[in-house]
Amino acid sequence: MIFDIGHLILLTAMALTAFGIVTGYLGGRWRNTRLIQSSFNVVYVVAALVFTATVILWYGLLTDAFQLSYVWNHSERALSPFYKFSALWGGQAGSLLFWCMILSAYSAVVAYVNRDRHRALMPYVNAALLTTSLFFLVLLVFAADPFKRVGFVPPDGQGLNPLLQNFWMILHPVMLYLGYVGMAVPFAFAVAALLSKRLDNEWVRTVRRWTLIPWMFLSAGILMGSQWAYMELGWGGYWAWDPVENASFLPWLTGTAFLHSIIIQEQRGILKTWNIVLIWLTYFLVILGTFTTRSGIIESVHSFARSDVGPYFLVYLVLILLGFLWLLFDRLPLLRGEHSIDSFTSREAAFLANNWLFAGIAFATLWGTFFPMFSELLTGQRISVAAPFFNQVNGPLFLLLLLLMGVAPLLGWRHTSLSAFRKQFTFPILAGVAVGLLVFLFARSFYPIIGLAICAFVVATIVQEYVRGVIARRTTTGENALAAVAGLWRRNGRRYGGYIVHLGIVMIGVAVIGNEFYQQSLSVTLARGESAQIGRYELVYDGMISERKSNRIEYHALLNAYNLDSGRRVGVITPQRNIYDKTPDMPTSEVGLHVTPFEDVYVVLNGWESGGASATFTIYINPLTLWMWIGGVVLVLGTLIAAWPHPTQRRSEVVRSLAYATGDD
Amino acid sequence: MAEGVTERTVSAEAQQMHRRSVRIWQAVFTLVLVGFIALLAARLIQTNQSEHRASGQAPPFTFTTFDGETISLEDLRGKGVVLNFWASWCAPCRDEAPLLEAMWRREKDNGIVFIGLDYLDQEPAARAYLAEFNITYPNGPDLQSAAARRYGIKGVPETFFIDPDGVIQELVVGPIVNQAQMEALLDKIRPHSLSQESGG
Amino acid sequence: MHRIKYALPFLLVGALAFLAVLSPGNAEPAMAQAGAASSSTDTRVTQNSATANSVTPNEVNEVAKELWCPLCNGVRLDACELKACEQMRDMIAEQLAEGWNKEQIKNYFIEQYGPQVLGAPPLEGFNWLAWILPFVALAAGGVFLWRTMQRMVASPPQEATIPKEETLPSVTDAYSRRLEEELKRYG
Repeated sequence: MIFDIGHLILLTAMALTAFGIVTGYLGGRWRNTRLIQSSFNVVYVVAALVFTATVILWYGLLTDAFQLSYVWNHSERALSPFYKFSALWGGQAGSLLFWCMILSAYSAVVAYVNRDRHRALMPYVNAALLTTSLFFLVLLVFAADPFKRVGFVPPDGQGLNPLLQNFWMILHPVMLYLGYVGMAVPFAFAVAALLSKRLDNEWVRTVRRWTLIPWMFLSAGILMGSQWAYMELGWGGYWAWDPVENASFLPWLTGTAFLHSIIIQEQRGILKTWNIVLIWLTYFLVILGTFTTRSGIIESVHSFARSDVGPYFLVYLVLILLGFLWLLFDRLPLLRGEHSIDSFTSREAAFLANNWLFAGIAFATLWGTFFPMFSELLTGQRISVAAPFFNQVNGPLFLLLLLLMGVAPLLGWRHTSLSAFRKQFTFPILAGVAVGLLVFLFARSFYPIIGLAICAFVVATIVQEYVRGVIARRTTTGENALAAVAGLWRRNGRRYGGYIVHLGIVMIGVAVIGNEFYQQSLSVTLARGESAQIGRYELVYDGMISERKSNRIEYHALLNAYNLDSGRRVGVITPQRNIYDKTPDMPTSEVGLHVTPFEDVYVVLNGWESGGASATFTIYINPLTLWMWIGGVVLVLGTLIAAWPHPTQRRSEVVRSLAYATGDD
Repeated sequence: MAEGVTERTVSAEAQQMHRRSVRIWQAVFTLVLVGFIALLAARLIQTNQSEHRASGQAPPFTFTTFDGETISLEDLRGKGVVLNFWASWCAPCRDEAPLLEAMWRREKDNGIVFIGLDYLDQEPAARAYLAEFNITYPNGPDLQSAAARRYGIKGVPETFFIDPDGVIQELVVGPIVNQAQMEALLDKIRPHSLSQESGG
Repeated sequence: MHRIKYALPFLLVGALAFLAVLSPGNAEPAMAQAGAASSSTDTRVTQNSATANSVTPNEVNEVAKELWCPLCNGVRLDACELKACEQMRDMIAEQLAEGWNKEQIKNYFIEQYGPQVLGAPPLEGFNWLAWILPFVALAAGGVFLWRTMQRMVASPPQEATIPKEETLPSVTDAYSRRLEEELKRYG
């Protein structure tokens, strides 16, 4: 009964959404206040409806309503409530509903926050956001109904995919969806700017924060996904350039490029067309990514079971492609740049180079992801494009990007004089060279030396910027150093928060270099009491224990770890295997870790014999991995600093919105 | 709008040229993206089609057995062919191996050929498997999975029953462990003259 | 003339990227070296196996790392737990014991399973496109960008009345402009 209501709610929401699109568009065109108001109301009501539908599905999951096909396929009685809750995004229909819920929540927040601002843009923003919602509601109603019935009431469900029964798998999709879906908001503003012909910097200024927040979630989501892969998949790595990983990475690349290029539009009034194209591309890649992971056209460990949503996505992709291009080409004359670039040694030029590289990496990644598909289609030959390809193609580009990250802040807007050059570059270059030489003493291979030298260079520029900023503030205000840093963040968070984000990226870069070039591994079979040595660690196998959990048996191997340098015991490492009752042929792995700032000792339990008398392990030393996660936290903090409303800006925004209110209506 | 001023001073011809090149670029941009989506669509269709395994006329293939003999499906016209895809790492394959061999021994003089194609496997392990079940019908590796792809198999074991005219009559996904089922399947692909003989 | 000077970093960058990537044969030794450097640290294990017939799992994995499981998607052979992969590793061990080198073993697997056991498209036929196109696109973008910038730099700035070193007024960057000025004064 209640589940029929759920289906009915989705149907209602779909109809309302279509209505809201029309009122939003016409309201914006005719400047009709009542129509505009109704588009706002639709946004709120749809958000409420979709949320209710989600709650109903949650209710079904938590009460073991196995008469629902979705619950039957993705849950079971013995599953802990925690995972029953997260099973919402464990399968196709549920995760589409979740997508839709986040989107409508975003839409409602955007509409509410801007209800008195951007009078000319908002009706179109509502319409654009509702269009995306409409697409997903159509999917939910016609192609992937989360409330579909089995026809009888099965006694128990099939269980949730064991790989998804992991802490990070609860958080990671939520973050990823918040990031992915959020990118629809800046795109909606771009569409609104095009439709309303208000192509000045207004939409760009508004959209910056609405891009930063999803960007932060997307970054965090990608990193959590890496963390999950690192802990669960047990191959010693965190990123495999798998098609599904790439699908989340692509909008990140174009979104990051967008965040940088809107700065130049704000400063110099150029790149207007490019910015609109970039944010459209980001949105397009979000939809494309959702399509590829759900239609079965690409095979991947992460992809969803095949279903018939594919054709719907294709039609929508064609619609957003042609609709957008038509609109863009029509408005092209209005998108002329106001100024130009004065010098190759200006910050604008560095930003352009940054966009060039981001676009290049995005293209290479897109191309590599889809190449096997096209190759099989056109030549019939099956090939795989995995890490070796992406590392070779993207590796050097990432290094250049890293370098640029250090160079750009040192260049002045418009032009950098020779004396400024000397003043700005001396310290960072010295730092970079020093670290490069230091690394050269230990390992003489090209990439790590260059990479770490560039990392040092970037860190040095950031430090230099901060030191100068602090000194400048102290001379004017006389506050102490800490207060001065806080002041920099508060008064100019965009810039100094941005540097913190860069610092986070450098940390991640260092971890990647450490793992890529200095990883060690060892496969051993140990009888109880035997030991293996790797790097400066010795691991002594101490037997196995097993533990019965609600829906699985866990097998833990105990390894005592000793640091050979200090001769001290550093702890117990317990790699683990879980065998689930519902899927005994799919044992999952939980790696054992000993984490230090210098390296992770990472142990995978491959198998065991005679009740654990002997066991086989793969042991990895992964240098500097911890910095990847620390870098992620730093990145999030930096984004928050950068997104925090600026005190004077807030005032000016209010002033501006008042001006609009009086001027428009 | 200072740029508008400079723009006006440019000759009309140059402006038209510019407009034309812009239009060409727009067309190129649109076509590339539409082409991309068209490829996606083609791929989607291909994916949905590959759901279906081969049927009708059996796709031709040639392979070299572990004993070095070269066998081509086309040379076997006039005989019923039981084409079994297997692998040594495949547990269910073990369930049907004895029955397959027993039937081969019984039927090899009745115009029926058994062929085993070894899917994504290693020669030493495969030979060990063949020895373990004492398999004597022709077996060989399916190099680069050429035949497997043409027959659209999704896993192992899968067994195709091909009649003397080279038409796929039946397909069994998963092991065949039931003798009666096997007999019924074999009856569908017996050469006519012979089946009458054995029937009479 | 002097503009060429500014273009140099761009060209250099382009050339470097091109060299580093278009010649995967060149890039690989650098990686292989790094790999060798890391594996030399666990010589303790590898030493005793130099006497051929007992090949250690580590030596096998050294080869398996560069192959991909043909039955799964994007799983490296050294980390794959399927029985089929186990057998593939056994095969590698046997081949190593017979004195095959890495290239021979890889070629054997390509012959058996096709190029999908490699993590990257082989440099032949249609697959060239996989490697070339990203760089063609990058180069085309670079040329376009460079020419646009050249044109922009060549045409005199329209707002010539504004003094050269001053940035444009903008609400959000007002403070940073002040800061910049302060820096000039004090720094």
